[in-house]
Amino acid sequence: MNLNGASRAGLCAALTAVLLAAGCGGNSNGKVAAATGLSPAADLGRQAFSDVALSASGTQSCASCHIASKAFTDGQVVPFGGLHFVPPATGDAGLRNTPTLMYASYSPDFFFDTDGTPTGGFFRDGRAATLADQAQRPFTTSFKMANASPDEVVQRLRTRPYLQQFIDLYGADSLNNPEVAVGHLAEALAAFQTEDESFHPFTSKYDFWQAGRATLTQQELNGLRLYNDPTRGNCAACHPSTSADGGLTPPLFTDFTYDNLGVPRNPNIPANDDAQTLAYVPYNSADGAHKYYDMGLCGPLRSDLGAQGANASLCGAFKVPTLRDIALTAPYFHNGEFPTLQEALSFYVTRDTDPSRWYPTDGAGNVTKFDDLEAVYGGEFVMNINVLGSDANYVGNVNTVEIPYNRKFGQTASLSPADIDDVIAFLCTLTDGYDPQHPENYTLPAQCAATSP
Amino acid sequence: MTPNLFPKKLLIAAAAMSLAGAASAADPNAAATQPLEQKIDSLSQQLDTLKAQLQQLKSQNDALATAQERQEQQTAQAAQPHASPFDNLSLWGYGEVYYTRPIHETEKTVADLARAVFGIGYRFDDKTRFNSEYEVEHGVTSANDPGEFEVEQLYVDHQFNRWAAVEGGLFLIPVGLINEHHEPTAFYGVQRNFVETLIIPSTWREGGFAFHGNTDFGLDWNVGLTTSVNLSHWEGNPEDPIYSTALELINEGAGPMAGTHQELALADAQHLSQYLSLVYRGVPGLEIGAFGSTGTSTSPTVPDGPTSQRVSLWEGHVRWTPGRADLSALYARGTIGGTGAYNALSVGQSNPMPASFSGYYAQAAYSVWQNETYRVAPFARWERYNIGQSFEGIPAGVSPYPTGPTSTGGPWPQPYDRVWTYGANFYVTPNVVLKADYQSFQNNSDLSRFDLGLGLAF
Repeated sequence: MNLNGASRAGLCAALTAVLLAAGCGGNSNGKVAAATGLSPAADLGRQAFSDVALSASGTQSCASCHIASKAFTDGQVVPFGGLHFVPPATGDAGLRNTPTLMYASYSPDFFFDTDGTPTGGFFRDGRAATLADQAQRPFTTSFKMANASPDEVVQRLRTRPYLQQFIDLYGADSLNNPEVAVGHLAEALAAFQTEDESFHPFTSKYDFWQAGRATLTQQELNGLRLYNDPTRGNCAACHPSTSADGGLTPPLFTDFTYDNLGVPRNPNIPANDDAQTLAYVPYNSADGAHKYYDMGLCGPLRSDLGAQGANASLCGAFKVPTLRDIALTAPYFHNGEFPTLQEALSFYVTRDTDPSRWYPTDGAGNVTKFDDLEAVYGGEFVMNINVLGSDANYVGNVNTVEIPYNRKFGQTASLSPADIDDVIAFLCTLTDGYDPQHPENYTLPAQCAATSP
Repeated sequence: MTPNLFPKKLLIAAAAMSLAGAASAADPNAAATQPLEQKIDSLSQQLDTLKAQLQQLKSQNDALATAQERQEQQTAQAAQPHASPFDNLSLWGYGEVYYTRPIHETEKTVADLARAVFGIGYRFDDKTRFNSEYEVEHGVTSANDPGEFEVEQLYVDHQFNRWAAVEGGLFLIPVGLINEHHEPTAFYGVQRNFVETLIIPSTWREGGFAFHGNTDFGLDWNVGLTTSVNLSHWEGNPEDPIYSTALELINEGAGPMAGTHQELALADAQHLSQYLSLVYRGVPGLEIGAFGSTGTSTSPTVPDGPTSQRVSLWEGHVRWTPGRADLSALYARGTIGGTGAYNALSVGQSNPMPASFSGYYAQAAYSVWQNETYRVAPFARWERYNIGQSFEGIPAGVSPYPTGPTSTGGPWPQPYDRVWTYGANFYVTPNVVLKADYQSFQNNSDLSRFDLGLGLAF
């Protein structure tokens, strides 16, 4: 082949670029975006992540609900969105509390374990098998970014300044197939979350303590002890505090499985309001108690597993989230029911010993436990706080076997309020941003300093 | 023996007679020669008879010689080795069935085909032999069943001379009284004692090679280099206790080395262990043994922690069998170094790594009745064990074991106990034994149980 001068120069330039890139690690396409240190795909994702022009309302992006300073949550019970979204809280109210994106790239894709345990996946019900799958769905969800179809997303994408970057990566042809194009956009967003350190810094005080570069206080150590002790908090059973792969990855504080805790129904979610009928809510119940039940793994936002046969036991189970940065991601649980860690932990240990504190109670002492789950799956379980033993024969999907949920009415909780304060002190050490050279600069939210009444 | 058929005198006389007869034929005195002629005739007849007898004896002799030769051939043939495969092969085995009933928690009563073991050995020559032992535990082995199928031993032993031999492969560690002699007919009590299952792991076997031998004054020695335990998969925080019955205490590997020995199954061999065993059997009926082993093991990964830890086990025992009595005592102690970093990392976990663990027992058995092959031997045994004797890295004032009730409401078992075992072995034959015992746990009293067992060995 006989190269003329121009093409030879071009070849040299390309080779140089490749050689330079080969000296740097771990990027797709072998080239590095100079400013951010991210690969071109991740850099595209970074731009798309906070681009409100990709939404139908023109006012919403991923970053609207996944705010970096709040560990990529939004501090609300449920987020708002839809065509008429005006930040922060005008528009359609979502169905579930915004999950954090911190450390999301470490979740395995959704699968069933050898013993049938559902594991991994994205969203609180794991319905998105991969991180990219999750990233693309809010674009076309009517109460989120509200694009009518992938077509509309592509039309908006064509107006964006990073369009050329998209074409360079995925080719102009991909724009002609909207579903493929949105899939690529989602890959870019996933690459951004995987590569950008702000999603997985591992700079918590706990990380530095494990490495021997920080000291935990007496209270924090006692909190860790109660956290690990399987007869007290037993938190480590689902939120392991040690590395899951023999030290290759730091502890992620979730085992990525699903659990059903019978969290009380949150009346502050408009979808839960039986007096309203909202167009975007998949009402799914005629049991006479409520029109809509969010049942996690078995629906209604997820439809592939269904609620029949063996899968009936999955109803009401939601994904175990990471506890890293948990102090920043209030309110808690899939329905944002508990505004503070103090309440969340108190629920864990007194759900059964003091049920009237958490569930609707009538004047005669009847308590409707697990009121956010249909009776056929073990929800709407009525017991009476004047009758000891009336909660003895529970049968259903809610976890009543593992500590601390194995208590019965009248028994003692496995953690006292002082114990809960200690555990919270420990949980606060999971907040990223600790600097061992300047420990005094470690900023924690107000709930970390509060004590139980 | 060939009889002397031809006395020399007769021969000479016969010859002389014939010569005399030939000489006298020419004599004109015919009347004088007649009696001589008659004598010659008679002698001639006798000679013929003798010839015939000789011939007969000769042929008899030949027949005897042939017969003898044939017999020699046959004997020689019989002495030669045949090409049969069973000549140098040996087969053996043993089996155990248990019935165990916790007396305070009878809903946990279990019956189990605990072991079905068969062994295959082959002698290659006078000096070299091979032994292997295979075990099926708990009846059914599959992904969904509790059983296990394992190779318990597989080694070659070669005898150099009268005093020393070498073995290589997967073999039993020569420690304690039960590890090498664990057939159900060889010990008292339905199950093996706790010291020799929790402190000394049972059945403890490792891969490697060892030199061993005997001396004329009765000292058996054994020194070996083997694989070590693997601490890197230490189960630090089980949500529920590893055991809730005495059966599970033995079966579930609750002891520190019992739960971490590798059984030469893709064993981590970066770190090895060495041992020395000395057993004196010079006095009939008396056995005194001492054992020590030390090695290293890969550590669980701990940020800022060690990559390997030292694991050691020491043991001493004595057994005396005067008359019908069988008395024994044993002490064992193990240590693990460098556990502080691992324990400090996971404060509050339910199964921290102990820095030391130990136990001892004293046992007395007496054959009260014997008749033909039957023998009844009641026994009593007192033992102490502590699988969590000391710890490093656990903050002061913090209990190394969980303080609250388990998820089923019972207490979390304590790692130490004192156990009384009373029972009897009833031998139908020396190879078949029926056993019964009652075990009383002083500390974790829920573990107390009544057991029955059937054991056989061949």
